[in-house]
Amino acid sequence: MSVLARSVGNAFRNKVRTAAVVALLAVAIGLALAMLVANQAVGAKVQELNASVGTVLTVNPAGGQGGPAGQNATTLTTSLTAAIDAGTLGGRNQPANGTTGTTTAQPVRSLPITATGIGGEVDTIGKSLTITEGTGLGDYTAESANALLGTTLAEKNNLTIGSTFTINEQTFTVAGLFDSGPTFGNNALYLTLPTAQTVAELPGELSSMIVTVDGMENLEAAKAALESALGTDKADVTQGQNLESAVSSLGSVKNISFIAFVAALGTAGLIILLIMVMLVRERRREIGVLKAIGAPNRTIGLQFVLEALVLVAMGSAVGAAVASFASGGIASALISTNTTTTAATTTGRGAAMAGAAGGAGMPGGGAGFPGGAGLPSGNPLGGASQLLTSVTASASPGVIAAGIAAVFGVAIIGALVPALLTARIRPIEVLRGE
Amino acid sequence: MIEVKNLVRTFNSGDRTIKPVNDVSFVLEQGTLASIVGKSGSGKSTLLSLLGALDKPTSGDVVVNGVSLAGMPDGKLTEYRRRDIGFVFQQFNLIPNLSAMDNVMLPMEFAGVRRTERRQRATDLLEQVQLDPEKQVRRINRLSGGEQQRVAIARALANEPKLILADEPTGNLDEQTGDHIIELLSSLRRDHNTTILVVTHDKALANKTDRRFRLQQGRLTEEPARALV
Repeated sequence: MSVLARSVGNAFRNKVRTAAVVALLAVAIGLALAMLVANQAVGAKVQELNASVGTVLTVNPAGGQGGPAGQNATTLTTSLTAAIDAGTLGGRNQPANGTTGTTTAQPVRSLPITATGIGGEVDTIGKSLTITEGTGLGDYTAESANALLGTTLAEKNNLTIGSTFTINEQTFTVAGLFDSGPTFGNNALYLTLPTAQTVAELPGELSSMIVTVDGMENLEAAKAALESALGTDKADVTQGQNLESAVSSLGSVKNISFIAFVAALGTAGLIILLIMVMLVRERRREIGVLKAIGAPNRTIGLQFVLEALVLVAMGSAVGAAVASFASGGIASALISTNTTTTAATTTGRGAAMAGAAGGAGMPGGGAGFPGGAGLPSGNPLGGASQLLTSVTASASPGVIAAGIAAVFGVAIIGALVPALLTARIRPIEVLRGE
Repeated sequence: MIEVKNLVRTFNSGDRTIKPVNDVSFVLEQGTLASIVGKSGSGKSTLLSLLGALDKPTSGDVVVNGVSLAGMPDGKLTEYRRRDIGFVFQQFNLIPNLSAMDNVMLPMEFAGVRRTERRQRATDLLEQVQLDPEKQVRRINRLSGGEQQRVAIARALANEPKLILADEPTGNLDEQTGDHIIELLSSLRRDHNTTILVVTHDKALANKTDRRFRLQQGRLTEEPARALV
């Protein structure tokens, strides 16, 4: 029987205790792996945010920072019906339910459809539009009569690719459908910028401009250059710093998850250390016997290290299963706990801007234009809260393998101490109790 | 040949100093079957542990085939126990979660004997101590006391040691099994020229040995070549 076989046998000598130790290790290792997965996921998200949102500058007319407040949206007439009935939001259209008094029928109100002219297939925060059907807008000329419709809006109006609708009696063709996530964002449409300027009779005017800088390091210089070129009295240049605190929160989550990973790892090592010290004390006489019949210290030490690794291997198997189920929830809980304040602030701003756009809309067909700033268009932070919390914590095999390697490393360190203790046990122990 | 020179082992117990082994000297030629008798607590097991390098003497020396154990480093002492000594303990001291076969193979594994060879040799030894083949693969805790003692003897013989130290080898056995163990030890001495030193209360066993010693209050005296009464 080899040392390994003997170690495996020893690991199962007391099945109840082994089960308890494995359960404890599984919790610690599972937590460590879940934290590692969360750490990796949040790290990737921080990188993504820094690469996309963090390098975007928004230019608005002076006095209208962050939204269209400094400029009234143009109201147009369209054949489209808004996808969102405002009454459904607050139950304001529900009939009175009483035995006395009078019931006054409330007019049905709809949130306005926002239409935005764009110069590329990106939304107003510089994020690529997700085209779910059809194509993009094609060439961005004044002659273009193509439009991109939000999926909700298209569905409400029974429009598909190739269908037509009118804005100010001008016919447009649905070239594509996009999905921006929230229903509000999909109650919108995009035209090419020149077409929008023409339809709104605002040639050459822009309500906002998105500038994507090639890197975070050039952000300040680009902002200064834009302010210098446009004049600070005419334009406000804001950067994606509104998300800075949110990204910082995510950075905190990353740090917390790493600390928790190390702590859980340390706990697993401590469990191994304590259980192996207990086993060594319990088997002093047996160790004495092994020494009496000629076992070298290294063989006995190796036997205990391998026994510890067998326990860790079982704990890792169960822990990995636990982590694969729990990591998503743990990551979400960590993120939602640490980004609640930021997300609330961001959402509040978005709502305020939506209100500004709503004021310019008309039930059943109003369209803020071209500075329509309803969600998601016109709001540089419209999808921020969703962007922040949409972290996918998937347990990739590489991360799990790295985590388990770390666990085994810690377990070896934890097992070495008791293994070295065995060297101090004298063979005379064999006569104890005789 | 084993030469014991002025061996002393003392223990401190509070203010008192106990000397279970007090200036013991003797010589045993290779192939001798010898016994040590004495009352409980007379120091028999302590003497055995000193001869087997389980413990270190306070003073004195044990010389085995011309090699002194005094001052020998722990690693060398381990090697000495592995190569030259076979222990048979009163309480067997077998590893409980291993089979009889695995227990006998254990010293050979430590000595680096190849797996196939150690299995073959363990089978031969267990047959030699008359352990049934089906019991050879049983766990130790499923064997009777006599069977366990036979496994312990087989384990002691595993590396063909020059010296076997047996502490009360028949102490936990019935008379019939005890007789068989005595026969086995005698045959070992005869067939392998092994030196065997037995610590025992059993006068019948002592009377079958070539030389008999008595340990009293730490001092060893050799009994004349007649039956102990």
